[in-house]
Amino acid sequence: MTTAPFAVRMLGITKRFPGVVALDDVTLEVRRGEIHAICGENGAGKSTLMKILSGVYSPDSGVLEIDGAATRFAGTRDAEHAGIAIIHQELALVEDLPVAANVFLGRERRGAFGLVDDRSMEEECGRLFAQLECGVSPGDRTGSLRVGDQQLVEIAKALSLEASVVVMDEPTSALTESESARLERTIQRLVARGTTILYISHKMDEVFRLADRITVLRDGRHVRTVDKTATTPREVTGWMVGRDIAGHEFHHGRPRGAKILEVRDLTLPWPEHPRGYRLKDISLDLHAGEILGVAGLMGAGRTELLEVLFGAADDTWTGTVCLHGDSVRFRHPREACAARVAMVTEDRKRLGLFPDLDVTGNISLCSLGEALRGGFLSRAAEEQLAAGPVRDTGVKTPGLHAAITGLSGGNQQKCIIGRWLLTRPEVLLLDDPTRGIDVGAKAELYSLIDRLCRQGLGVILTSSELPELLTLADRILVLAEGKVTAEMTRAEATEARIMEAATAG
Amino acid sequence: MAATNTNPSGGSSPAAQGSPRLRRTSWFGLRSGEWALVAAIVVAVLLTGLVDSNHSYFKLPWQSLTDIARNTSLLGIFALGATVVIIAGGIDLSSGSMIALSGTVCATTMLALAPKEMMGFKPVGPAVVAAGVAAALLTGFLVGTLHAWLITAVRLPPFIATLATLVGLRSFARALCESATHALTPTKSALVNVYDPMFKAVRENVWVPVTVFILLALFTWVLLTRTVLGRHIHALGGNEQAARLAGIRTENVKWFAYCFGAMTAALAGLFYVANESVAQPVNQGRGHELNAIAAAVVGGCSLSGGVGTVPGTVLGAVFLRVVIDAVSKIIKTGADVYEGLIVGVVVVIAVTFSQLGALAKGGRQLLPGPLGLCAIPTLALLAGSIASMTAGRNGGIATGLGALLFLGLVRFWESRRTAT
Repeated sequence: MTTAPFAVRMLGITKRFPGVVALDDVTLEVRRGEIHAICGENGAGKSTLMKILSGVYSPDSGVLEIDGAATRFAGTRDAEHAGIAIIHQELALVEDLPVAANVFLGRERRGAFGLVDDRSMEEECGRLFAQLECGVSPGDRTGSLRVGDQQLVEIAKALSLEASVVVMDEPTSALTESESARLERTIQRLVARGTTILYISHKMDEVFRLADRITVLRDGRHVRTVDKTATTPREVTGWMVGRDIAGHEFHHGRPRGAKILEVRDLTLPWPEHPRGYRLKDISLDLHAGEILGVAGLMGAGRTELLEVLFGAADDTWTGTVCLHGDSVRFRHPREACAARVAMVTEDRKRLGLFPDLDVTGNISLCSLGEALRGGFLSRAAEEQLAAGPVRDTGVKTPGLHAAITGLSGGNQQKCIIGRWLLTRPEVLLLDDPTRGIDVGAKAELYSLIDRLCRQGLGVILTSSELPELLTLADRILVLAEGKVTAEMTRAEATEARIMEAATAG
Repeated sequence: MAATNTNPSGGSSPAAQGSPRLRRTSWFGLRSGEWALVAAIVVAVLLTGLVDSNHSYFKLPWQSLTDIARNTSLLGIFALGATVVIIAGGIDLSSGSMIALSGTVCATTMLALAPKEMMGFKPVGPAVVAAGVAAALLTGFLVGTLHAWLITAVRLPPFIATLATLVGLRSFARALCESATHALTPTKSALVNVYDPMFKAVRENVWVPVTVFILLALFTWVLLTRTVLGRHIHALGGNEQAARLAGIRTENVKWFAYCFGAMTAALAGLFYVANESVAQPVNQGRGHELNAIAAAVVGGCSLSGGVGTVPGTVLGAVFLRVVIDAVSKIIKTGADVYEGLIVGVVVVIAVTFSQLGALAKGGRQLLPGPLGLCAIPTLALLAGSIASMTAGRNGGIATGLGALLFLGLVRFWESRRTAT
C-alpha cells in the first residue's frame, strides 16, 4: 500500500496507566505531506497517542519511526529536534510575555554581548505572522490575544521550529467560524510547503473537508484507517461509537414520579468570548425517579448548566428555574444545599477532594451539624455518620481514618457521592462522575446511581461517554455550543444520533 | 467500554488496599514532628544549662523561666492567630503593625478619657482601662474585617492586602499617636507612657500573659478540632474551590480567620504596652509578624494551607524563644542582636528536617550541580562569620573550615549515590 515514504510510523504502541490500558497495540502510519485525521470519542486514546509522538510519554511497548528510522524520545525536546511540533488543545503560552518571546521561548536568539536580540526575533515573528495572514503584532502581550490568534502563535512557533510534522489537537474547539476558516487556509498552506499534518477532531465536516486519510480509534484500539474518498461521515461516526453495548441497561422499569425541577430559557452570558454566551435558551424538566442525561462535546456547556442549577456560576444568568413549582435563584452552593440540591463536581481532585482531611472528614463535611454533641464536633458521631455512606455506596477503604488520597478514583468518587447523600438531596447533579475511573468501579457507580434513582431522587447526569448515558439515562438532552440541539427518549437515542446532534453546532 | 457487564463487586483498585496511609499517627495527642520539637526544646535547655558559663539556669532558674514564659506568651498569643490564618490558606503579614496600633489605640483612648491621670502618672481606674482594652480589640476586629474585604471582595491576594496594612497600620498608629498627644497634651509625642497599676501588675505577674496564652491556645485548639467552623477553616485552606462547591461560605470563614488573626495581635499589643509601660508605635512589635509565622511553620503549618495544629504552634513558639534565650545566655549579648538570625536559621533547619525523608526517597540532591558547588562556600562562610563574631577568630576559622569539609563530604556522597 506504500506509495510515499512515511513521515511517521507508530507500530504496535501500547501504553498502560494505573487501572487503564490507554492504548492497546495501536498502529498509525502517516504518509509524508498528507493531512491525516485522527477521530475518536473522548477517552479513545487520541491524546495519549499524540503525547507519545511528541515525547511527553514513552510507550510501554511498540516502535516509533520518524522518516523511516526507529526513534526513542526521552522528552519533548527530542521530539522537537526530530521535527515534530504539537499544538495542544489547552495552549501552552506564557500569557504575560509578548508574542515574539513566546514563539522563541527556550530558543531565544542572541545578539551582541550575548544579550537577547528582541529585534531579530520580532522581525522573524512578523514574517511568520504575515505568512499566516494574522494581524497580530509581535510585541503584543500574548494574554491579550483572542484564542484563535493565540493558536496562530503556537502555529508560528511550529513554523519557526521548521517542523516537518505538526500535530493539532482539536484546534477549532474554541474558534469562531471565520477563525476556523483562516486556520484551514493555514493548514493548506503548510501542506503546500510539504508539512505533514496530524489533525485530531471529532467534527466530521472539518475532517472530511481537510483530511486525506482518516484513522479511527476507539477504547484505546485502532479501528481502521481509510482514504477519505472511500467512506462517509456517517460510517466514520459509526466506527467511533460502534461498540458492543449489549450489556444490561438500568433504565427499565423505573417509575417516574412528580416533576421536581423545571428550567425555562436559561441563558448564561460569556462576556469576553466572541460567542457571547455559555448557555442559551436552555429548557428542561426533571422528574423524581428519573435520570436525565446531558450529552455534549467538551465546551458544549454541560458543566456550566449544572453549575447554574447549583448556584455556583460566577456570571448572572437569565431565565427561570423552578424547584417543586417555586421559582428559585441560588447565589451560593449553600442555598442549593439547603433546597436539597446536590452536585458531584467534574474534576474530582480540583473541585471535590480535600486531601488534608481523611475519609470521614471528606464524607461528613456537608452535614457536620449532625455530628455535634453538646455544640462540639464529636469524632465518634462523625464516624458513625460517615460509616453509613461508606457501607451503602460500597467504599473500599482500609478504614474511616484512611487518607482520602490513598483510595482509588472510584472509591474517592463514592466518598464524594456519599458526602452529598448525607444531605438527603432530592436533586442530584452528577458531572461526568466516572471520568478517570476504571471499568469495574464504573459498573459499581452505575448500579449505585440507578439505586438512588429508584429511591426517588431526580438525577441529572452529564458524561463524556455516550454508552454511559445510554446505560443510565431515561431521557437525553444534547448540547452543542451552549444550545440544546436535541432531546430524545432512551428508545429514540442511539450513539450515532447523539453524536450527530452534538456536532451540529 | 463494556462497563455494564462487569460484576459490581469486583471493581476495587489494589492501590487502595496496598498501603493504608493512616492519618492519625499520634502518640499521646502529639504527632511525630511535634515530639521532635519537644525533644529539641529539651536538648536546647540542657545544652544551655551545660554550656552557659554563668550557669544562670541553675543559679536563677525562676527568673530564666519567667523570662522565657513571658516572651513565649507574647509571641504565642498572636502566633495562634497566624496559625488560624495560615491553615485557612491565607497569610497575615500585618500582625507586627497591628500590635503597634492596638497599643496606641489603647493608650490614646485612656489619654482621651483621663488626660490628667495619664499625664500625672496616676491610676486611671478600671473603667478607663476597660475602655482602652475594648477599643484596642475592636480595632483588631475592624482591621480583620478590612483584610477580609480586601481579599474576598476586591480579590487582592492575601500577601498584597496584608503587606499594605503592614506598612500602613504602623504609619497610621504613629499619626494617631502624634495627633492625639498634640490635641490632649502640651507636647506632640510619638509615644504615650502608660503607668496605670493594672498594666504594672500585668508586667510584674508573669502568670497573667501565660494564663491568657494557655486559655487562648485551648480555645483555638477546641475551635480548630471540635467545631464546624474549625473544620471549614481546614477545608478552605485545603481546597478553596471544593470548599465553596461543598456549600461552605468561604468568604465568611475568611472573615473570621483574618479577624481572629488581627484580634490576637491586638491582644498581644496590650501585653507589649504593659511590658514596656509605653505605647510606642514606631518600634513596638516591628518585624514580629515574621516570628509568628515562623513559629507556626516550625510547628508544622504548611503555607499552602489546610495543615497545622495548635500544639505544633505552641511548641514552635516555645522552641524559638528557648533557642533565642540559649544563644543570649551562651554568648552574653543582648538577645535582640541575634534574634532575627536565630529565627531564620531555625526555620530553615526545621523545614529542611521535615523534608529530609522525601529528599532521600526521591533521589533529589541537597547540593546539585553548579548551584550546589556555590552553596558550599556560601554556607561555610556564613557559619564561619557567625562563629567568629560570637566565639572569636580561631573559632570562626575552625567552624568555617569544618562546615566546608562537611558540606564537601555531603556533596561527594550525593554524587556517588546518584551515579550508582
